[in-house]
Amino acid sequence: MSRRDVSQTMQQIYTAGRTDRRGSVRPALDAMPFGLLLITLLLLALGCHEAPEAGTTVVTFSGSAVGAEAEVLRRQLATFMAENPDVRVEIRSTPDAADQRHQLYVQWLNAHTPDPDILQLDVIWTAEFAAAGWVLPLDRFGPPVDAFFSAAVRANTWRDTLYAVPWFVDVGMLYWRTDLLETPPATYADLLADARRAMGPEVPYGFVWQGARYEGLVVVFLEHLHAFGGRVLDEKGRVALDSDAALQALRFMRDAVHRHGVVPEATLTWREEQTRFAFQNGRAVLMRNWPYAVPLLEDTATSRVAGRFRVAPLPAGPGGRSASVLGGAQLAINAHSEEPDAAWRVVEFLVRADAMIERARGVGQYPARRDVYGRPGLGAALSVDPARARRIIEQAVPRPVTPVYPQLSSILQVWLHRALTGQRDPATALERAADEIRSLLERVELAPTARADGSGG
Amino acid sequence: MVLPAVGAIVLVAIFPLAWTAWESLHLHDLRMPWRGRPFVGLENYARLLADGRFWGAAWHTGLFVVVTVAVELFVGLALALGLDRIRRGRGLARVVVLLPWAVPTAVAALIWRFMFEGETGVANGLLTAAGVLDEPIIWFVGSVTAWVPVMLGDIWKMTPFVTLLLLAGLQNIPDTLYEAARMDGAGAWQRFREVTLPLLRPALLVALLFRTLDAVRVFDLVYVLTGGGPGTATEPLSVYAFQALLQDLRFGYGSAVSMSVFVLAFVLALVYIRVLGRTGVRGAAT
Repeated sequence: MSRRDVSQTMQQIYTAGRTDRRGSVRPALDAMPFGLLLITLLLLALGCHEAPEAGTTVVTFSGSAVGAEAEVLRRQLATFMAENPDVRVEIRSTPDAADQRHQLYVQWLNAHTPDPDILQLDVIWTAEFAAAGWVLPLDRFGPPVDAFFSAAVRANTWRDTLYAVPWFVDVGMLYWRTDLLETPPATYADLLADARRAMGPEVPYGFVWQGARYEGLVVVFLEHLHAFGGRVLDEKGRVALDSDAALQALRFMRDAVHRHGVVPEATLTWREEQTRFAFQNGRAVLMRNWPYAVPLLEDTATSRVAGRFRVAPLPAGPGGRSASVLGGAQLAINAHSEEPDAAWRVVEFLVRADAMIERARGVGQYPARRDVYGRPGLGAALSVDPARARRIIEQAVPRPVTPVYPQLSSILQVWLHRALTGQRDPATALERAADEIRSLLERVELAPTARADGSGG
Repeated sequence: MVLPAVGAIVLVAIFPLAWTAWESLHLHDLRMPWRGRPFVGLENYARLLADGRFWGAAWHTGLFVVVTVAVELFVGLALALGLDRIRRGRGLARVVVLLPWAVPTAVAALIWRFMFEGETGVANGLLTAAGVLDEPIIWFVGSVTAWVPVMLGDIWKMTPFVTLLLLAGLQNIPDTLYEAARMDGAGAWQRFREVTLPLLRPALLVALLFRTLDAVRVFDLVYVLTGGGPGTATEPLSVYAFQALLQDLRFGYGSAVSMSVFVLAFVLALVYIRVLGRTGVRGAAT
């Protein structure tokens, strides 16, 4: 609690500093004790040297700004400012860990601070921020929605309105060993057979995925669920988790561990890195992971499978459908931004095709625009052949788009893990999870009027 | 002169507690800011009583307290009796016994986790080599087996503390009493039952009090070792409170869970203090 108060106080000081550059600062100062006043004055004094020249609009950007990402971002923003001398973009550093950044954003936005103007959002935050009225609806700027992968657009759409522009994407992929298999398994049934055939004393694991009780487990379950034709929420937002398809998917996952022995039991304690180590040491035939692992596995200094693996779309279910869960980053504009138009110009610049290719080249991230995958220059930038990458991303699905996704995921994590560790049978686990999610959605009481005008706070 | 002390207590003990109690009467969910922070009376507590995960956590806390405290007292007593006999190198022996207690809990938890992790951990290696296990087991996947490292970790770490308390108690028992008992023809078991145990009672009660109250609030060990999993099979009340408060950002509900931990610890403390007070422990406990 006290942490929140402290940060709010800091916020007040900070806001006061900001307001001063633009006009009245009096009310904030009157309300402040003497010590804070002193600090504020100090901050103001420090801030003075960076006061912009007349006519320049200052826009603040917050997002991943460490290492190579920072380098690319700074270069791109410099180009933008050279082309747009009337706008200056400043970077506000935020923690790189998603949870911490989320917490910071919540504190900022809940306090209605006007900056940062531009926010880099994780794909699962957009609906939450939109419902809270914290980010601007973007339709009025006419964003080029058709240029992006449809799953990325759907993930950023809340109540038929786009609230964030997809920037780069992350998808689940099937890593397979080319020295053990001739072709990647096309269906989950094939996967069981192929894995069992290739397993042996040297390669004890058939298929490894992220099975610890955390967000990653939900992602893997969603990929199975969609392949088997199920879903968590239907088009109207009703819970559809207690379906036959969901039951088949969860039973398949459990049986793969406990009946077929294709997925090692230890996978139920693993996150991304443990699965990568297993695959990298040559102990697994197949792995589900994000694209980040490709360059690491290609590194001959540490990897025993360099040159002996490839990536493919995740297997399909009985209905022939294959699905990868979508991750990645988007750009949104603070609902209380004082410079929304300038902010949009920055966003619009950063999501241009050229900028995305430049970013791919700098940090290897996959552009969210599908129209850049045919362009020259992208092939050398990505670790996976662009045509194949595009095929995998085309069949991506967003996670359930709801403002309460974190709570929904939290419920799923517990019940899925209980079912997979044999504490509950899958049918009961899904029923109970569905019940809990229903009561969560009731408790949410989403006001239909919660819009970007900020009245929701 | 009393004022500063009272002021400090109000500031560091009563104020946060009152704040948490007040918070627990509100619906305050940072993930649903549009609902504001309305006063809801006892609704969070009503919800708590209907929450299976809460009752599970309460049961796990009870199980953890009973098993670890019982074993720690038993083993601690045995060690204290042994150390009491040692005439030479007693100081060194005490330092060695106390070592686990000096390791920070989070570090100790990581060590235990490392030993029980995966198929190739130390525990699996030893147990298969000794023929206890036919094949390695994944400890953290079983709802029963996951308790083993948790409880072992706590027992390993906290038994030294009990040992030291009891050793101090033992050394307060005058040798003349043992001599007198021996003169009257009492055997070793009789001397233990009739002299040692009654006179050690105050020290035993103090150890029991400290260990119980600590175990009721167990957090870091479980958080690092299992995170409460598999599922929520090893989740005690404090870990659930942390989850509700800082992971789900449900401040109102999480405060209600926290209050339940406080009430439990408080009631236990009251009971113990009454029992301790009756036995006139003051002189012997120091």
